Amino acid sequence: MVKHIVKRILITLPVLLGIVLLIFFMLQVVPGDPVTVMMKEHLKEDVVENLRRTMHLDDPFFVRYFRYILDMLRGDLGTSWKLNRPVTNLISTAFPYTLRLAIASALFSWIMGIPVGVISAVLKNSLVDHLSMGLSLFGVSMPVFWIALILQNTCKGFLPVSGVQGWQSYILPTIVLGWSSAGRIARLTRSNLLEVLRGDYIRTARSKGLSPLKVITRHALKNALIPVITVMAIQISSLLSGAVITESVFAIPGVGSLAVTAINNRDMPLLQGTVIFTAVLIIAGNLAADILYSVIDPRIRVE
Amino acid sequence: MPNILEIKGLVASFASDGVRERAIAVNGVDLAIPAGKTVGLVGESGCGKSVTSLSVMGLLADNGRVEAGEALFGGVDLLKLSDRELRKIRGNRISMIFQEPMTSLNPVITVGKQVAEALRLHSGMDRQAAKARTIEIFEKVGIPEPERRYACYPHQLSGGLRQRVMIGMSMVLKPDLLIADEPTTALDVSIEAQILRLMRDLQRESGMSILMITHNLGVVAEICDLVYVMYAGEVVERADVNALFAHCAHPYTRGLMASLPRMTPKGQRLYNIRGTVPNLRAMPSGCRFSPRCEFATERCRVEKPPLADIGGGHLCRCFAPESGEGPMGGVSR
Repeated sequence: MVKHIVKRILITLPVLLGIVLLIFFMLQVVPGDPVTVMMKEHLKEDVVENLRRTMHLDDPFFVRYFRYILDMLRGDLGTSWKLNRPVTNLISTAFPYTLRLAIASALFSWIMGIPVGVISAVLKNSLVDHLSMGLSLFGVSMPVFWIALILQNTCKGFLPVSGVQGWQSYILPTIVLGWSSAGRIARLTRSNLLEVLRGDYIRTARSKGLSPLKVITRHALKNALIPVITVMAIQISSLLSGAVITESVFAIPGVGSLAVTAINNRDMPLLQGTVIFTAVLIIAGNLAADILYSVIDPRIRVE
Repeated sequence: MPNILEIKGLVASFASDGVRERAIAVNGVDLAIPAGKTVGLVGESGCGKSVTSLSVMGLLADNGRVEAGEALFGGVDLLKLSDRELRKIRGNRISMIFQEPMTSLNPVITVGKQVAEALRLHSGMDRQAAKARTIEIFEKVGIPEPERRYACYPHQLSGGLRQRVMIGMSMVLKPDLLIADEPTTALDVSIEAQILRLMRDLQRESGMSILMITHNLGVVAEICDLVYVMYAGEVVERADVNALFAHCAHPYTRGLMASLPRMTPKGQRLYNIRGTVPNLRAMPSGCRFSPRCEFATERCRVEKPPLADIGGGHLCRCFAPESGEGPMGGVSR
């Protein structure tokens, strides 16, 4: 088991290097010269030349790539061109906001999604089922910014709608972010549970004389939640990397907002940093899903 | 001999999407299981044998429903019990084994816990006692290294072992009746023989009755005392196992017997009953087997034959039992 996990972690290292290479390359081909980004006014030719040299911008691509990797291993993601602060510093300031929002909306989506899915499956084709599946579909299919605007307008009298002034500021963004995840989880839970409830081992469990509630909680749910857990792990990693739209709409200074700022400013080191940060989180999320999977499903466990 | 279970006039139906009329899967089945005996319920897929047993246990799928009839178990009509009352009998006094040992066990719970669960539910044993008793029953049903196997998941066991686990689970509470729904169909022949022997030994020891649902006449010959043959939701013949194999009366039963592969000269074609099982929603009038029967007369197509005694408790639903020369002549057991 431990060996399996260690192996799984080692496999992610080349993936990470590949991702850095890809991001690095893509940002090289994006038009826009950093020096002109930093200095809006025209500069003298030799000053520009000098600046480019000190920033190592004239070095060959692979030299810069390996230098970046080495710096990254030392925990240095470069310095923001526009804000003139270390990228790691900027991300670590922004991350707590994102973290709080991510945890809140993940919890919201699990607490709403799983029970609603279970109830819908048990009361299949009832009014409750149709209603909750309708709300789920609404959450999944409506654009986040639209729901955000509607909520901002309806709740602006009694809830903060912009910036972070206290825990109340997280309520609306949590609902906006959590709703679509909750919908997805509810629908997945429902369909998996219905599938599992048709299984032969459910009939066996009933033939033992177990009550319907015990059949669901002890025999059906664990099987039905295996695929849901994958979605949950990937969902939380994408939430942690910053909800770009939600953070922007509610003016929450998290990682998502940071990425938007970086794009607007053509701030390559900052953008590169946030994207790599996101990639690491997604990889970690997948890894967590994998490990959770083998904990829950004995068939996947490696002997 | 008193009957442990007596089913009278059982009718069960199924609804399907987009069709208003319900399909009648079991149409007036009478079936009695004497105490301590093994009763075979034989027929093709879809003839209603499993539906009969699931109706009695209250385990029909959501779209299934018992329309009429009674199932007397120790003087109590199982079909009238509430779900709560029926649950006390299920797994405790009547238990079941199913066809697919691969899928009948929960893949994410160890087999030991799945057996102990039934034990704890009905006998109120604590965890330790239930575990000890489970290991005991594993040993009894011939599972080697029962203590190690207790902590195994179903996918770690072979098909034969899984079926032994199922048998252990069904036997652990010493039921009065064991309903075995095609318990050996998914197993290979040598394992089948072992499992049948095990069931017979356990029966001898505990005195329980067995309802053996199967389409395999070999299994019937091996283990049953009394045989019911079903066709299209109805019982068409009932006989003592020796009587059935010596001289079966219904043309359908004779067709089944003749379809068994036997030691015949090379090149001779295997017999098969022509036609297919009728659609549940479009049953032929008169005798349900008449469209496929080689001996059917005009009367058979119009009038429904009753299940009549043709001597010595041998029942047959045919106007002319043993009419004509059967396709296979005499079949010996």
